[in-house]
Amino acid sequence: MNYDRPQELLKPVKRRFITLTFVVALALELLPLPQGSNRWLPDFVALLILYWSVNQPRRIGIGMAFGIGLLADVVTTSMFGQHALAYSVGAYLILLRQQQLVMFNLGQQTLVILVLMVLMQLLMAIARWSVGASLPGLGYFLPALVGALLWPLLTKLMLLPYRSERH
Amino acid sequence: MNFANTPSFANQGLQPGGRLALCVLASLALLVGDSQYGLMEKARDAISVVLYPLQRAANVPLNLTMQVGDFFTAQAALKRENDALRERDLIQSSHLMRMSSLEKELQQLRRLNALAAQPSHAGVVAEVLYTGRDPFSYRLIIDKGSSSGIASGQAVIDENGLIGQVTRVQPLSAEVTQVINRHYIVPVMIERTGHRALLYGFGGGVEVRYLPISTDIRENDLLVTSGVDGVYLQGIPVARVKQIDRLGGAAFARVRSEVIAGVQSSRFVVIMPNRRLPATPPVAEAPADTAKTDKKSP
Repeated sequence: MNYDRPQELLKPVKRRFITLTFVVALALELLPLPQGSNRWLPDFVALLILYWSVNQPRRIGIGMAFGIGLLADVVTTSMFGQHALAYSVGAYLILLRQQQLVMFNLGQQTLVILVLMVLMQLLMAIARWSVGASLPGLGYFLPALVGALLWPLLTKLMLLPYRSERH
Repeated sequence: MNFANTPSFANQGLQPGGRLALCVLASLALLVGDSQYGLMEKARDAISVVLYPLQRAANVPLNLTMQVGDFFTAQAALKRENDALRERDLIQSSHLMRMSSLEKELQQLRRLNALAAQPSHAGVVAEVLYTGRDPFSYRLIIDKGSSSGIASGQAVIDENGLIGQVTRVQPLSAEVTQVINRHYIVPVMIERTGHRALLYGFGGGVEVRYLPISTDIRENDLLVTSGVDGVYLQGIPVARVKQIDRLGGAAFARVRSEVIAGVQSSRFVVIMPNRRLPATPPVAEAPADTAKTDKKSP
């Protein structure tokens, strides 16, 4: 049984809300943050892709992940297709086991997310490496770790607007 | 009850595996197309224009805080800054006066010697919007684009020295590749001796490579652009030599150096006009000049 997951009746998620979350995540990428911050700041767009494909697999699937990945490619000034590749693979891996994943408690989910985030980072590194960039050090995976640690918080935050008033 | 768990009975379209294969293939095609052939520039332009409002919106909170901060700046600080600026202005205007007469003289001499006149050095000031999050590409996005007359290949400097080069221009913004980017090469010369060399970015820093051991170079030497290309004006400071390793047995000295400009910190930059080179002389058999900039390859 899962004890962590809120089991109260949730209102259906609006498409508008999903769009809004992605817009906010992309805007976060565009913030002129101090230079060092991207050494630990997680990829919020990737986290959201994982979150929505766990919780709303009919809305955010592989195709959507690919499209949003393209946007992320432009926003982060990286190669075209780099984020798209990583995100669509991430979404696919989630969809393979989605029905088990939603039943996991937050701790178990966090572990899965950690693995997936690292895998996505690795895919991007390989994509870059294959077109001529150097391989990054281990510090490159710190954002993935931070992102996974933020997962429980993200889940609670996303459910906030969808709690019914009385339960 | 959890809606997310409801199985999808009506399976529409492709199986997930098929979809993934399609997306992966498309990504790989894009990756190759973008990196090897630069096919995607148009699409990138279009997407970046669509994203521009978002870009500006993301900058609003920061600008607001900066404005509020400006408003509450203590008068003493303003006064001090004002004094310092005035002093600098005085010194620089005296320099300028001499400069303008020298420039006139130089143009005259160039005309006498039938050399191409250099363009005036007016630059365009731009603000850094954000730095790309991608740790592989040391790039900046600035808020001026082709609509302000920016063209790909122009040099970008700040008040201290060279920051990089405009590598991608979109209608309302432009991408600047920084000197510390891997693949970035600047033709420089040692200011003290005039010895020419190449400064390579290696992803996070710069170093001079292929400098014979016997070269006269010392720590703290200033490396400035040599102007031996069509990109940089002569004499823009680029880096300062930090440490020189002369290993016995190696043909070249290892010269570690440090970038002077605030490549990671400047908020305002100046985009310099390209240096106009005289038309290439008809004898084309000249061996390829080693001091040629490699215009980045992403």
